[in-house]
Amino acid sequence: MSLDRRKFLKYMGVAGAAAGASMLVSEGVKTKGKAAIGPTTAEAQTEAKEHRYEVKPGELDAYYGFWSGGHSGEVRIIGVPSMREIKRIPVFNIDVGTGYGVTNETKALLKGRFCGDTHHVHGSYNNGVYDGKYLFVNDKLNNRVARIRTDYMETDKIVDVPNIQGMHGLFTQRYPKTEWLVCNGEFQVPVPNTNPNQSPADYNGVHTIIDAEKMEIVCQILMDENMDLAATDYKGRYSMTTSYNPEKGVTVSEMLAFDEDFMLVFHWDRIRSALKDGKYKMVNGVKMLDGRAGKSDLTLRIPVPKNPHGINVSPDGKYAVCSGKVAPTCSVVEIDKIEDAFNGKIKPKECIVAQPFIGLGPLHTTYDGRGNAITSVFIDSTNVKWNIQKAIDNEKNPEEKKKNTHIVDVLDVTYQVGHIMATMAETKEADGQWLVSLNKFSKDRFLNVGPLKNECEQLVDITGDKLKLVHDSAAYIEPHDCIMVRRDIIEKHVKDRYNMFDNPLAVTKAGVERKGNKVTVKLTANAPVFGLSEVHLKKGEEVTVIVTNHDEISDLDHGFALSAYNINFVVAPFQTKSVTFTADKPGVYWAYCTNFCHALHLEMRMRFIIA
Amino acid sequence: MKKALVLFIMFVFASAAYADKPKFLEHRYEYKLEDVLKADKYEKKDRYWEAYIAGKLVGYIFLSKDWTAQHVGYSGKHMETLVGFDTKGAITGVKIVFHAEPIVLIGLKQDNYDNFIKQYIGKSVLQGMSVGNEIKMDAITGATVTAVVQNAIIAEGAKKVAASAGLIKYAAQQSHKISQKFEPLSWKELMDTGAMKNILITKEDVGQQGGKDPYIDLSFGLATPPAIGKNALGERTYAQLLQSLKEGDSAVFIFSNGPGSFKGSGFARGGVFERFHVEQDDRTYVFTDKDYIMFTELAANGAPTIKEGGIFIIRAKDFDQSKPFKLKLIISYRIGVDSKFKAAASDYKLPDKFMEQ
Ligand SMILES: [Cu+2]
Repeated sequence: MSLDRRKFLKYMGVAGAAAGASMLVSEGVKTKGKAAIGPTTAEAQTEAKEHRYEVKPGELDAYYGFWSGGHSGEVRIIGVPSMREIKRIPVFNIDVGTGYGVTNETKALLKGRFCGDTHHVHGSYNNGVYDGKYLFVNDKLNNRVARIRTDYMETDKIVDVPNIQGMHGLFTQRYPKTEWLVCNGEFQVPVPNTNPNQSPADYNGVHTIIDAEKMEIVCQILMDENMDLAATDYKGRYSMTTSYNPEKGVTVSEMLAFDEDFMLVFHWDRIRSALKDGKYKMVNGVKMLDGRAGKSDLTLRIPVPKNPHGINVSPDGKYAVCSGKVAPTCSVVEIDKIEDAFNGKIKPKECIVAQPFIGLGPLHTTYDGRGNAITSVFIDSTNVKWNIQKAIDNEKNPEEKKKNTHIVDVLDVTYQVGHIMATMAETKEADGQWLVSLNKFSKDRFLNVGPLKNECEQLVDITGDKLKLVHDSAAYIEPHDCIMVRRDIIEKHVKDRYNMFDNPLAVTKAGVERKGNKVTVKLTANAPVFGLSEVHLKKGEEVTVIVTNHDEISDLDHGFALSAYNINFVVAPFQTKSVTFTADKPGVYWAYCTNFCHALHLEMRMRFIIA
Repeated sequence: MKKALVLFIMFVFASAAYADKPKFLEHRYEYKLEDVLKADKYEKKDRYWEAYIAGKLVGYIFLSKDWTAQHVGYSGKHMETLVGFDTKGAITGVKIVFHAEPIVLIGLKQDNYDNFIKQYIGKSVLQGMSVGNEIKMDAITGATVTAVVQNAIIAEGAKKVAASAGLIKYAAQQSHKISQKFEPLSWKELMDTGAMKNILITKEDVGQQGGKDPYIDLSFGLATPPAIGKNALGERTYAQLLQSLKEGDSAVFIFSNGPGSFKGSGFARGGVFERFHVEQDDRTYVFTDKDYIMFTELAANGAPTIKEGGIFIIRAKDFDQSKPFKLKLIISYRIGVDSKFKAAASDYKLPDKFMEQ
């Protein structure tokens, strides 16, 4: 803030006292200092002198950051720019705090598989910008896609994807809105996976299209290549991916054999027609189209240097940038040329309009919305900012290209960056405010916490020409990727309480019901009491406890934990959850509220008396 | 349509269920009408009683739940109160008939509540009573939500009964429609229209060093007229407000600077904002966090930074945006370890410019 706050307040005070009416703001008082806090406006950009990353007590972050949690299996919400972790959303993992994976409802989602590896979180879109409704995330480990609804910020659907392994790269349709999302199989496998002796030469990669609303698989496309990261364009025409193993290698050296690998493009209109024309086989209950070279016209192979990694589309929708990984360059593909290549009017390679040098190990590229790309460079451990148009122009000017005049700035990061993401960068409203560099090594940056150390995520101010490192934050196992969404897009969807009757199990009156050996214990939770003070059970009975939180006040959650029975979960206002267990230990067992709720929270307990 | 109706009915049913608080937190007391006004004859009128001595009318008695049942305390329940006042509008007696306020949990006794209530005797219904001024918080320090709501229950109920009995007459005022016209206004232009009013409490006022420096410098205005709301709050926040409004709802926006806080933090647990409320004629509007949209910045060109901001929706059809209302503020602060209260208020009248004439 360039204006002394105290002076300013004083001024407000005097003006406020005058005439008991309203504040006046003199010509001199123009500064708002709000650019750091609020969404950017053109006005704020011109007025803000200092880009403030400190979020003071009582202030809110300007962006919701949605982070994958790697092999923790979860998704996290980080406030940006404060980098405070605000929430963890259990997705493929068990969370004993909230009872995710403990309750009947969440056990049904996980189906006994509670290891997961989340890599890429992307939002649902409307016309190239997030609509704030859903988030989607992949599970590389058990090959699942989960959807998170943002009103409750909880996982609501999980779909299993057969015929693939190493599900990597997930992206949502950006235009006209998210009806489809795609995900990739990074590890080629026998399809179907029934013959362990199948030769690796006959393994396949598979590209999967999922209906975002129904969370059902629309179809799969059989490929020879493996598929790494994924992207969609801004006109609803293609999904795209990089492939580093068209060799079908099963060892590192085999996978590195070819000098050129591919960027693959999937043609959605042709996929729709092929589906309509029935040009598929059913494999494990899924419509499988054939996208292999020479088998159909559904796919395009654009050759790019050896073992590419990230693929990211610029916010103007013009370019897809494949980051080289093993090659020190990025390949800039002009998306509007792709149709001509599909139609054989140009060679696939002619879609590439620039191949600028970036550094050793370019992995992922993000954008500032002002024509610049910023690429994470792993081996060099840098973030490299470069101008896209300059890189394209330099292709016709070898002298300039040699001098790397497209590179605007290089920032050293600590240490060795994987993904990189700028605020709103995967939308057409990329705003060039902040960038997060998700680094893999953190030695010496934090208190030493033993042999297993945290990751180091660095916040970078990208409003100026130079990349300016402003903050380090520690992250536990192991975010891969993130998106940062303007607050206004999300917060209007977020609810403070559940709609009680969306859940048919909602308890309105506490009581016990018996049917043979099965007992249902219905409990209301209302600070500071459960609806019953005791329940009598017989040893061996199958007991289902249903708890509905009847407190309407937002933020007033209750826990339900049953001593010695390994049960705990939390119910938020008007939420209902259930759990089923066998009363196999006779005796007196206290159930108690675990989530602080009331001055008499400790007294909020009841007995399960098992005879 | 049918489904929506069923859901609605179920919801009403559930509301009754979740309001079913444990008995040990509830307190119900026997009462007689003479507890609040002695007389030899009571005549039942519509929702109140007239009291007579030797055939002469001496005053009125009412039960609050007949008039102000919408005001609920920390417990989520109405504090049923029996109130009597004489023909000049002076309160003759107040008795709590039922409450479920958890005052015991903050170390208070029923005596403290009774002492708080006793203050009302002799106070004028016609002039009105507000916490921090005529009514002191000392007896139930800490139970701010209870005190503020209890006051609204008594003061508003008494005013309404007094109006029914003909003791108070409100000037009939023309109601106007709010203009839906929008024109972009800078902060200064908006200020000049008088669309926002100010309340200033200085550091001196709350016994702090710093003289005339603001302790809380608060401004407020009606948020609903587009020419005010959209300019002050910005297109996005205003659209968010419109989404939250149901037919007949209004909204005010309040923002402040200075170390003091108008929101306080009590709402984080109880849901009720106890530091401010709106009054119009004999009606009081207290806000909860269900009807609250936070904002942290003003949008108009040239607007200042703010420390706190909130939009508060008035979910009542009897509030008329085109007529004058009052914003009342009761700020609590500390001198050493003692809690004190400072009350302030400001009148508000929507400038004609924002109304259809
Ligand atoms: Cu509890």
